[in-house]
Amino acid sequence: MTAIVAYPLLTALVTAFFKQSLVVPGRKFVGFDNIVDVLQGNFFQLFQQTMIFTLGTTILPFAIGFALALALNTRIRGANLMRGLMLIPWLVPGVVVSFLWMWIFNGNYGVMNALLAPLGVEPQAWLAQPGTAMWAVIIAKTWQSFPWIMVMLLAGLQTVPRELHEAAEMDGAGTVRRFFAITVPQLKGIIGLVLLLEFIWNFQHFDIIYVLTGGGPAGSTQTFATSVYETAFRGYDLGHAGALGLLWLILLMALVVVYVRFSEKGEER
Amino acid sequence: MKERTPRKAPALRADRPGVRVAAWASVIVCGGFGLLPVYWLLATSLTPRDQVFSYPPRLFPSEVSFEAYASLFSNSQLFTYMQNSIIVSVVTAVLSVIVSAYMGYSFSKFRYTGRRALMYFVLASQMFPQALLLVTLYTVFSAYGLLNTYTALVLSFTTFTLPLCVWMLKGFFDTIPNELIEAALMDGASRLRIIHSIVLPLSAPGMVAAGLFAFVRGWNDFIFALTLAGPDKQTLPPGLVNTYVGEAATAWPELMAASLVVSLPVALAFILLQRFLVSGMTAGAVKG
Amino acid sequence: MSANFPTRPSLTRRGALQLFGLGAAATALGGCMPTSGGASPQGSAGLSGAGPTDFKFASWSLTEAAAAPALEQIIDGYEAKQGVKVAPTSFPYNEYINQLTLQIKGGQFTGAAHVDVAWLGSLAAMGKLQDLSSLAEGRGYTDAALAAARFDGVQYALPWTIGAIGLVSNAEMLQKVGVAPDGFPTTIDGFEKTLKDLKALGGGIIPYAASTKAAQLKDVLIWMQTFGSPLVDGDTVTIGDDASVEAVTWYKSLYDQGLISPDVDRFDARSLFSQGRAAIYDDAPVGRNAVTKESPDANLASKLNPVARPVLKQGDKPRALVWGGAIAVVDGDGAATAGDFAQFATSDLDTVLGDYAVRGLPPATAEALESDKVASDAFGSLFSERITATATTNPLWAFTSYSQVESEIANRVQAVLVGSAKPADAMKAAGEAAQKLVR
Repeated sequence: MTAIVAYPLLTALVTAFFKQSLVVPGRKFVGFDNIVDVLQGNFFQLFQQTMIFTLGTTILPFAIGFALALALNTRIRGANLMRGLMLIPWLVPGVVVSFLWMWIFNGNYGVMNALLAPLGVEPQAWLAQPGTAMWAVIIAKTWQSFPWIMVMLLAGLQTVPRELHEAAEMDGAGTVRRFFAITVPQLKGIIGLVLLLEFIWNFQHFDIIYVLTGGGPAGSTQTFATSVYETAFRGYDLGHAGALGLLWLILLMALVVVYVRFSEKGEER
Repeated sequence: MKERTPRKAPALRADRPGVRVAAWASVIVCGGFGLLPVYWLLATSLTPRDQVFSYPPRLFPSEVSFEAYASLFSNSQLFTYMQNSIIVSVVTAVLSVIVSAYMGYSFSKFRYTGRRALMYFVLASQMFPQALLLVTLYTVFSAYGLLNTYTALVLSFTTFTLPLCVWMLKGFFDTIPNELIEAALMDGASRLRIIHSIVLPLSAPGMVAAGLFAFVRGWNDFIFALTLAGPDKQTLPPGLVNTYVGEAATAWPELMAASLVVSLPVALAFILLQRFLVSGMTAGAVKG
Repeated sequence: MSANFPTRPSLTRRGALQLFGLGAAATALGGCMPTSGGASPQGSAGLSGAGPTDFKFASWSLTEAAAAPALEQIIDGYEAKQGVKVAPTSFPYNEYINQLTLQIKGGQFTGAAHVDVAWLGSLAAMGKLQDLSSLAEGRGYTDAALAAARFDGVQYALPWTIGAIGLVSNAEMLQKVGVAPDGFPTTIDGFEKTLKDLKALGGGIIPYAASTKAAQLKDVLIWMQTFGSPLVDGDTVTIGDDASVEAVTWYKSLYDQGLISPDVDRFDARSLFSQGRAAIYDDAPVGRNAVTKESPDANLASKLNPVARPVLKQGDKPRALVWGGAIAVVDGDGAATAGDFAQFATSDLDTVLGDYAVRGLPPATAEALESDKVASDAFGSLFSERITATATTNPLWAFTSYSQVESEIANRVQAVLVGSAKPADAMKAAGEAAQKLVR
């Protein structure tokens, strides 16, 4: 597996130092030119947008997924049915998620404008304004990923020993207190895993952004993933795509090192 | 499906009114967020074409029309895409489970140098810029004449499903007591035999979960299928984009009908196999 | 090769040329070719004695409901004639050049490919297109049409439909604001006033459904030319000059006043226009069927009125952009038959007229242009007279990196529209980025 992942990756990274086209054969060594271009270009804007997207699509679905998991873990009527139904958004392919939200957010005929009209909100072209497009993308992605988080947390909740809660309740601890003193610590492992995986996946998420906004308007929803693809497969510019990928990888490695340090410290305690 | 709750399960008792209200509130708010779009998908797909552009939109179509579905099923191209999707996803799932079973076992039951590093690598590989890998995969597959083949798709999907499948199965294998394996070794069973007749059967739910995960990865993938497969071998997601983006993007009922049909098989499979999935995905994580 | 058509007398050809106003286009494409990209055509074209074989045919029109029947008819006709199977391949227009390039580059696509003449340079640079000049001879193509399908002096494609993109209006809606069918404002100021009047009608009308999505923002280039920017001067991209900045500033002011609307591309525009929510939009004649077919207004066809693009100062010549379809042949399996098919689809009279009946795009042979069917089509003639007559090609097409140049410009114009950049800075940056790409 090292070979199938690492070899292509290295080959791609090497192009960062060449002027190379996807369609016209031949390449020329240019040193750090591509990297300088990318750094002087929109790298920091891309980084910022990627982080907004990643954090938004990690935190929002986590909040929704957690709330639902807690609610469905009580003995309310229809919890089982709800649990099944809630899986639907997760099972829908990313492009379908995009189509659906493209229709909901459509500026001319979309249902979002119709729903907001009674509240006095002027019709908006949600996907065509930099301020709202990123939120639209985050909401669409949130809709797709909260069920998975809900399922994972629900499974975790069911392993929390009932005795712990009963004992705490005897001692007079309220619901909120028990949540922070028992539920959260018991779920620490699974919460950490879910957040980490979501972060990693969202950092390189492509489908929903590409189909919903294509990175627009005016590049305001472009992330590293869509930008590398655009550069390589629309601009046919492998050199700059490689340079962007290289910088992206370095950045992510740095984040991982910080994370690993942090989590190992936690284990030592 | 009915799920039998173990004795120790429900953590919060619903008898307190505060808890009950909070639970209902979050089910209504979050459930609405989850389900209203699904309703809108269904409603639009059943709206006659000439009503879909009425503004403000009718939340309940005044008449139900199946013309969108009819036009969908007359489009043979979509069946080709669906067939491709099924082939590619099933092969990816089977291949991923087989390979990751052995890898997961070795991570779980053997202690050797570099094991930890390898495990970090598995995690880190999830972070590699896929869009960039695609560039090389495209060039490599192109050089070997593999573009536009199922092989190209299965190979690239498996590359991305393996890490998580390995993690899931490792978590499962960790729960199998070492004593069981040692006892079998004492009885003279070979390592391979132990895997095949003890470990794997015990881990069936984990393998189903890993297989489902890999299946969905293949079923949902867009970027690799878009780039590595031409029109004949394209799977549903890029197929839908190529069919419906552009002029047909304004054919909302058809687009929504297609979306629904595409999502249905996976949704059904999952709701049926939910139990395995949850236990498989959480086996390692919950205990770890 | 089948029967040779006699060459038309020069008078008629000049007539056709005048009608289709492509004199300028011919010079532009033939004369100014700054970059050759070192590409050379591949292989020999046509059947040349060999038996016909199965081949692939790619076209975006196959994805468009209103246009697809025309192509299916041609494919069926050719299959019946030669006894071969044509395997259709389709991508939507906005994805087409990109997907086709990847398919050709990966060696997956060979055969006949429907191309926008704007893309010929980019495709020719890959070195896989055949030189079709031997197939172009004696088939009665007009000189202007042949020139439009030529790049760097090589006949890389056979011209199929050579026309233009221009403004199409809804006569009834314009009548409501006192604009008669032949009284469309001729200057930009008058045009803007009419748009404001249309807006004042209320009811959520979008006066002018101009392209504002990046995929089709190339439409703004023709406004830059209207404001007086040459776009290209020799080897230099002039975008960033005063005229281009003024054009974009004006476009932005229309956007801010709600006279044009966000999130619109050609297909959204057609849908808005057909629903009666837009009064004016940009399109080629092929849009006629698309907008009338799905419209709730059964009489929309009679209200369609092509109009000349307004000019900056009274007396200027209205600008229009040549929009041509051609069929190129990608060397490889089935290429020989594909060449024969290209010739059949673009110059067999019955085939071309059958195509015209559905797509309504001006054919490329003199014989078809002069036929009753084409000449008696009121909308088509009006479109030719008011729009195609002054159409020119886009000088940026001469660059092999045209698609990249186009998207650089489109993205920056979009940044202006959404307010994240100033017109002058954005256009200067667009010009520099484009210059870098064509260098």
